[in-house]
Amino acid sequence: MKEQNAKLKAEGIYLAFGGVGALIDMNVEVKGLEILAIIGPNGAGKTCLINCISGFYHPQKGRIYFEGQDLTHLPSHKIAKLGISRTFQNIQLYTRMSTLDNLMAARHILLKQNPFWGAIYFGKALREEIEHRRRVEEVITFLEMQSIRKKVVGTLPYGQRKRVDLGRALAQEPKILLLDEPMAGMNVEEKEDMARFIIDIYEQRRIPIVLVEHDMGVVMDIADRIVVFDFGRKIAEGSPNEIKVNPNVIKAYLGAEEAAR
Amino acid sequence: MTESDTLPKLLKQAYEKYKDKKVAMRRKDLGIWNEYTWKDYYENVKYFSLGLVSLGLKPAKKVAIIGDNDVEYYVAEYAAQAAGGVVVPLYSDAGHAEIEFTVGHSESTFVLAHDQEQVDKLLKVQNALPNLRKIIYWDPKGLWNYEEPILISWEEVLRQGRKYEEEHGEVFEENIAKGKGDDLALILYTSGTTGVPKGAMLTHENLLFSTKSYLGAQGLTEEDEYFSYMSPAWMTEQIYGIAGGPYLGMTTNFAEEAGTVKEDVREIGPTIIFYGSRLWESTASTIQVKIADTAAIKRFIYRLCLPIGQKMFKLNIESKEASFFWKAVYKLAWVALFEPLLDKLGLSKVRIAYTGGTVLSPESFSFIGALGLGLRQVYGSTEAGVIAGHRDYIKPHTLGEPPPGADVKIKNGEIVVKSPGVFQGYYKNPEETAKVLKDGWFHTGDAGFFDEDVHLIFMDRVSELLKLPDGERFAPQFIESTLRFSPYIKDAMILGGKDKPYISAVIIIDYENIGKWAEDHKVVYTTFTDLSQKAEVCDLIQKEVEKTNESLPSTAKVKKFVNLHKEFDPDEAELTRTRKLRRGFMEDKYRELVDAIYSNKKDLTAEAYVRYRDGRTGKITTSVNIKSLD
Repeated sequence: MKEQNAKLKAEGIYLAFGGVGALIDMNVEVKGLEILAIIGPNGAGKTCLINCISGFYHPQKGRIYFEGQDLTHLPSHKIAKLGISRTFQNIQLYTRMSTLDNLMAARHILLKQNPFWGAIYFGKALREEIEHRRRVEEVITFLEMQSIRKKVVGTLPYGQRKRVDLGRALAQEPKILLLDEPMAGMNVEEKEDMARFIIDIYEQRRIPIVLVEHDMGVVMDIADRIVVFDFGRKIAEGSPNEIKVNPNVIKAYLGAEEAAR
Repeated sequence: MTESDTLPKLLKQAYEKYKDKKVAMRRKDLGIWNEYTWKDYYENVKYFSLGLVSLGLKPAKKVAIIGDNDVEYYVAEYAAQAAGGVVVPLYSDAGHAEIEFTVGHSESTFVLAHDQEQVDKLLKVQNALPNLRKIIYWDPKGLWNYEEPILISWEEVLRQGRKYEEEHGEVFEENIAKGKGDDLALILYTSGTTGVPKGAMLTHENLLFSTKSYLGAQGLTEEDEYFSYMSPAWMTEQIYGIAGGPYLGMTTNFAEEAGTVKEDVREIGPTIIFYGSRLWESTASTIQVKIADTAAIKRFIYRLCLPIGQKMFKLNIESKEASFFWKAVYKLAWVALFEPLLDKLGLSKVRIAYTGGTVLSPESFSFIGALGLGLRQVYGSTEAGVIAGHRDYIKPHTLGEPPPGADVKIKNGEIVVKSPGVFQGYYKNPEETAKVLKDGWFHTGDAGFFDEDVHLIFMDRVSELLKLPDGERFAPQFIESTLRFSPYIKDAMILGGKDKPYISAVIIIDYENIGKWAEDHKVVYTTFTDLSQKAEVCDLIQKEVEKTNESLPSTAKVKKFVNLHKEFDPDEAELTRTRKLRRGFMEDKYRELVDAIYSNKKDLTAEAYVRYRDGRTGKITTSVNIKSLD
């Protein structure tokens, strides 16, 4: 795979809403091929960082680079075109469309033919559509969504919608994947499935994955490296084993007294 | 043309007849139906077989296969048998302990594993399996980074097979020719209602007997479309799908995955279909619930047309000719109701529908019949293949007639059979073999009798017929299947016997249907346990039990019932894999409940240990109501 060296770097990010600093002098780097987990208590700024990278927010200070290109002030659709795909904490899908159509729509950014030829559906446009469909079907098979292929997304249970959301991100053929709490609100079995999918994606596509997650068990199991946020600041960074014993992390999660013991 | 006496010879014959002119198998991949001609089928078998040989498969050695119904499953079975191997099929939901036992006991040298899930189970137990040489997987997803040397991919085996042919010439054809009808083809491990699984040894002749004498006499042709749905670890799929395909030249279709069966059946429109009786029963109750929930006009059409179907079906099974008027009316009803309804289920093109497993309740039988599907009951066992089955003449309540060549008798009330289909004994288990195989007669353990048309009628297992203290005998399974016909009852277990002076029912409510009913009737509930004990639900079930009682003889009516607070679960060994009840085990497990019923208590605080799918155990406490019918 050619994208072994895809690298993402956020430097000195400062983001504030009114007087509240959501991200303060934040430095996070994805070092090549790895699963990087971002953890932290509620309101620590994890999702804010994902939003900054994917262009939903623009930081007041600092720079974000992807493969050396500055994308700090690019709009979100251009960032998606560069190969950065994401999922959402509270699922953003076309709820009245089928799983298949949601995934096809995701490939919009990869369309080469103009809408005119697409509407006539002939020649090149037809061939392109078939190719897109094939790629989408690969994602459907990969994520084991065959049985919900033609179901309307709004009618699906929560766990499956999460899966469609992930499928939509995958259908864009990303060079890096940002997952915002992919396992929130799931039961044990669904979590296990999702963890397996994340590892499978990582192994098969060989792309870096940034994972924002609350479930410590999952994070410790699958992440190569962990960054810990608290109140908009990075308080720790390292391997799962280092993070487990880091006093700052224990303090942030369990309170000062526990840490003092 | 000489009759083929082994499965690989049968396949070769079909290949020579059809080559690439006809489709042998169809499977959906990436949302598209892909076709495999007889040539593809044969060549895949050929190279896979040679691949196995080059990996060291010797004749009479065992090859286990575990996975869902799939092209590769079928290919692997023929490939192993072509090399003289014996196939040991497993259910795809077998746990690692079951796998360890079966693969270990059969001394399998190779295991075909569908995907990562099965490979993981095998890797977990591989140290306990000294005979195992290779695990071959056919779906590589998730296995990219596995580095265990015991693993090898399907493609790699095929590649080695091609290489082997280049070096050694036409070994495959020679191997097939070497096969004899009395070579072992299969060891089928029975799900085991009692004790450890037993491996029934079957020769090619044993298996082909059922295919030729029963399936061969059904008027099926090469134009037929078969949908492969039952696990090949079940004898029926071996007879129908695996041997039946090449024997009849019909096309076998595979679902994309287990969750898409319904849609896939509908897309294919099979012409012959075999469902277990429970699936027919759930089909019947699904239709009834959906109809109750549909638009008024549709419900009106249903109520108008169903009696017409019932009348026609009744005439049909009585072998009476319908009058011109009724024929015309039925045509209209067919267009208005039956065809669209069957189409929704993917059954509108079905010419012959079969049922097997446990006995289908007469109500379901008539209901499905009224829709236009005369179900042919097939009665058989792993050990003896087809023992009886309906042919053109369908009679409700019976199991049909024995196929030609099978000698079926009733000995002391027990059904016994002698036929070329009778197995060779249980693998490495002469004691169990001696219990069921006496002088070539296989003792089924089923109680039954013949009626005036030489149709076999099944009562129950000999061991399961129960006797009340007053001497009245009753067949619990019959009452259970009658209860199950209610859309609100998913399962039932009937109690009664020497220390239990009257008949009681332990009922498992149908969560989906009752949940829907509760919503419609504004009954608030949280879980299955909660819903099952609601007063409204108890009243609803009481009405259903009363309805069932009407169709039971006065000596065998249900006097008391409870709604169990949980569902029966094969994972907790309450049901066998084919969803038969393990009665003795259940009575022990629910001892307290049984005692409470017969000591005239009104309710019971039940504590139950449940084993979750991930292996953890949990405890639930709840109050279970005991209701009497007087």
